[in-house]
Amino acid sequence: MAGKVVELSDSTFDKFVESNKVVMVDCWAAWCRPCLMLAPVVEELAEELAGKVGVAKLNVDENPGISMRFGISAIPTMLVFKDGVMKEPLVGVRPKAEIKNYLMSL
Amino acid sequence: MDADVTIIGMGPAGLQAAIHSSRKKAKTLVLGKMENSAIYPTELENYLGYRGGSGKELLASGAEQARSFGASLLQEDVISVEKAEGGFILRLESGKEVKSKALVFAPGISRKKLNIPGEKEFFGKGVSYCATCDCNFYKEKPVAIIGEASEAASSAELMTHYASKVYWVAKELKANQNMVDMALGAGANLVQSQPKTVRGDQKVTGLELEDGTVLEVNGVFIELGSRSSADLAMDVGVLPDPEGHLKVDEECGTGVEGVFACGDITGKPWQLARAVGQGAVAGLNAASYARSG
Repeated sequence: MAGKVVELSDSTFDKFVESNKVVMVDCWAAWCRPCLMLAPVVEELAEELAGKVGVAKLNVDENPGISMRFGISAIPTMLVFKDGVMKEPLVGVRPKAEIKNYLMSL
Repeated sequence: MDADVTIIGMGPAGLQAAIHSSRKKAKTLVLGKMENSAIYPTELENYLGYRGGSGKELLASGAEQARSFGASLLQEDVISVEKAEGGFILRLESGKEVKSKALVFAPGISRKKLNIPGEKEFFGKGVSYCATCDCNFYKEKPVAIIGEASEAASSAELMTHYASKVYWVAKELKANQNMVDMALGAGANLVQSQPKTVRGDQKVTGLELEDGTVLEVNGVFIELGSRSSADLAMDVGVLPDPEGHLKVDEECGTGVEGVFACGDITGKPWQLARAVGQGAVAGLNAASYARSG
């Protein structure tokens, strides 16, 4: 699956976080317009950071467990983990370079 | 109401597009609020032939010029736009509908942030700039909507379907009465004051107003101005980039048939000269498109 955005659910989330050194999960919903603006950027990041960062997305509408667990109250929110430990999330649509720099700095 | 070309935005790009479109004998309508243009409050100093003079005067004169060629100008925000047979249907804040063969996006770049203490700190922890995105997270919780124009009115109405209590904080109301009635009729509580500080601990717990009153809320939605151009563009299938810009080709086309864009919304530099140049291109091409259909 290298280079592709992995679609996660409440039940596959933990395993994905554990099995990648650095992880970025784009939490989105179909009715969220800014999420749709961010989606192509997330796809590009998955390709560009293949082998370095596990890039995934999670539909908050269909997976309320993760949103509640991490207290998500705005989307898009990009949850970020390193070695299974949660780092500062990125909230809102951000330029690709900013997201990439942040992930590479971890 | 029918038009060949409808231009969203009454700044320099939109008015120049209107001049060129109406000179080509296309039935042209310009929508928006002139005072929302970035150049409205400014003094001009780097625009060809203008050594001084105000943005306000330039726009007023441009509006008159556009009218002289037959364009109609309507000081109203657009609430939604959709594709329809033979063009597009736009719904305005007064409830009016406009059918148009071509669209030109010239809304400029609007200010979205309020810049009050706590706003940045609690973004994603109770502060939101998108009620339609985040309404679900505030079910049965009290919220405040901040903003004076149509986007705040529409968000206040929306949140009444989710939140336990909705405060609409606006010093003055600049939304159309139709929108105000809709929000207040749905149960939003109007608070005519200025927000001062977003308060909270880990998450938002309140919104302090200029008179010291604190509204106990878990969500603060900042919804300034009119509905975002990014949203309206997406209504017709144009996807903005992460900075909210619409990419255009050299004809000022957006890649979606019949949809053109010009001015600051297409990217930097955000300069009057660029806006006017692109406005001419977009206006001419939109008129040609509409009249060929």
